[in-house]
Order: sequence, then structure tokens, then C-alpha cells
Amino acid sequence: MLKRRLAGVPLWVLAIVALLLLGGVVVGPMGLSLLGVPRPEPELPAEVVFHIAGFPITNSILGAWFTIIVLAGLSFIITRRMKMVPGRLQSAFEFLVGWVYDFCRRVAGEENGRRFFPVVATIFLFVSFNAWLSLVPGFGSITITNEEGHAVHLLRGANTDINVPLVLALVSFLFVEYFGLRSLGIRYLSKFFNLGPFLRGLRQVLKGKVGAGFGAMFSGLIQIFVGVLETLSEFVRILSFTFRLFGNMTAGEILLLSAAFLMPFVFPSVFYGLELLIGFVQALIFSGLTLVFLTLAVTHHGEAQETHKE
Amino acid sequence: MDPAVMKLLAVGLAASLGMLGPALAIGLIGYSALQGIARNPEASGPIMTNMILVTAFAEAIGIYALIIAIILVFVG
Repeated sequence: MLKRRLAGVPLWVLAIVALLLLGGVVVGPMGLSLLGVPRPEPELPAEVVFHIAGFPITNSILGAWFTIIVLAGLSFIITRRMKMVPGRLQSAFEFLVGWVYDFCRRVAGEENGRRFFPVVATIFLFVSFNAWLSLVPGFGSITITNEEGHAVHLLRGANTDINVPLVLALVSFLFVEYFGLRSLGIRYLSKFFNLGPFLRGLRQVLKGKVGAGFGAMFSGLIQIFVGVLETLSEFVRILSFTFRLFGNMTAGEILLLSAAFLMPFVFPSVFYGLELLIGFVQALIFSGLTLVFLTLAVTHHGEAQETHKE
Repeated sequence: MDPAVMKLLAVGLAASLGMLGPALAIGLIGYSALQGIARNPEASGPIMTNMILVTAFAEAIGIYALIIAIILVFVG
């Protein structure tokens, strides 16, 4: 073995990789049945692996359980023996948790940041670890024959099944309404059913001040319309969260599959980096938008009207 | 025309025409963000954060077009 290195990699490693690459490029188009691989077919709905008491368990559920086990296991291991001067793993997680906490505090303010931190951090960690763990080599390669006899993947990234982003969007919607109702009481609903100005105008007309009354009624009608729009946007937000996360993750997975079967080793490495970044950014956006809408829901109606950004 | 040909045409048009708008939007967002940073380099932190946030909104629209194209390819 030559002792030389090129760009830090021993020469014989480079030679083997180049040979494999050349072999793949030459043999691939020839379509040899021995060395050929079938084209990958990405499936949109998740495939069922087995049933538990009549309830179908799909491979994306197994992927989600895998993420949960990894996250819970890591947290348990790190908090076993916490030291004042942390070791490497503990300081890495302190950095992660501290970063998310600072993000919450920066966007939502001091005490609101503290209140919203559990929801936001959970969503962030779940989405990002789902995305990153599906990039670990070997994740999509284990196949198992399910009950009907097809060969299906054992694990699949949970974000690529449309039910998971839908559930996360519903959870974030429920928490926004819960925190809004808890902070503002029933007055929170005046954001959606804003009959106050209209009724005030009506009372003015009945008292005899017709001119000012009709003007107030008109602006009250506009306020009612704005309330209807707000209600609509709350529900459309669920759909937008779902499709943003699902679309990004599914498109990334299809891209990686196609790139890996197009030209192995070289082509997909660029897209792997892109997928890492996209997983992180999508998790940040999901949790960040949840945080922003939580903050908007908790501020008083008067302030929310002036700083109406959406 | 052949239904298979129409389907391929539909997929291609849906994906490409749908991405025009978001691409333009993200370009404009980047333009204004860079202008803001150029005027006030100290505020580059908050400007970048807000830029990423708004880019996510614009990109989601492109993703909707992509989803329609994917559904067209695999269903029917």
C-alpha cells in the first residue's frame, strides 16, 4: 500500500472508490440482470407492516417509534449523572435546549417564552429528529415481508406520512386556542366574532345620532368581515402547516431515492447535505411559526389590531 | 390527444408554472433583506431571522404545486 494521501484520504481507498464508480457507470446502462437494480418506486401512502389487535401498524409508525425511543433514550442517558461542569454529550444537549429556549424568549418575551417552551421544543425535536434519523445509512434499506407477502421497508421517516404533519398541525392549532383562551378568557373569541363596534353603531342610530351611527355601523360591518377572515385563516393554517412539512420531506425523500439510483456515491452526497439542512429548517419553521401564532394569540386584542402582521 | 400524453403534459406544466411565483417571491425577499443589511449591518441578525421566516411562507406555495404534480404522477 502506498503511503501517500490525496486530500487526507489514503490512495488505495480512492482507487477502490474510483473502480467502483467506473464499474457502475459502465455496467449500469448495459442492464445486466446480475448487477442491475430495479427502479425505486416511491409510495405515497405508508405500507402496513403488521397488525396489533386489528390495528394496522405502518412503517412510518415504526419510524416515529424509533425516533421516540432515540430521543427518550438520549435524554435518559444524559440526565443520569449530570455534572456541574458538563461532559461533551451533556454540553451538546445543553446547547440545543438553551438555543431553543433563547429562541422562544426572543420571539415571545420573558414569561411567555417560558410558557410556550415545552410545546415549541417538542415539535422542534420531534420533526428534526424524524428528518435526520431517516438519513442514517441503513434506515430505508431493511425490508421485511408483511402479512400479505409483499416486501416492504421496515422503517420510513415519519414526516413523509401525511398523518404525522397533520397531527402536529392540529396539536399546534389546539395549543394556540388553549393558550389564547387561558390568557384572555372568553374575550379571546372577540377576535373572531367581532360584533362590538357594529352593535355600538346600531345603538347610536337608535338613540338618534344617525350620521355618526351609520358610519360606526359601516366600520362595524368591516370588523365582522375581518373576524370571519381571521377564523378562516386559523383553519387554513392547519392545511398550510401540514402540506409545507409533508411536501418538503416527501420531495426530499423522492429526490434522494432518484439521485441514489441515477449515479451512486457522487451524486447523492450533495443532496444529503441539502436534506440535512432542509430537515433542520423545516423543524425550525414549524416550531417558529407555532411560537409566533401563540404569541399573537396571547397579546391583547387592541395591540393585535395595530400590529396586525400575517 | 392520448390521455397518457395529456397527463405528462399536465404534470410538467403544473410543476413548472407553479414554481415561477415562489421563485420570484423568494428573490424579492432576498433583495429586500440584503438591502436592509446593507443599510444597517448591525441589524443583520433579526433581518436574517425574519427573512428565513417569510421565505418559508413563500416556499410553501411552491411545495403545494409540487404536491399537485406528485399526486398527478402517482394517482390515475
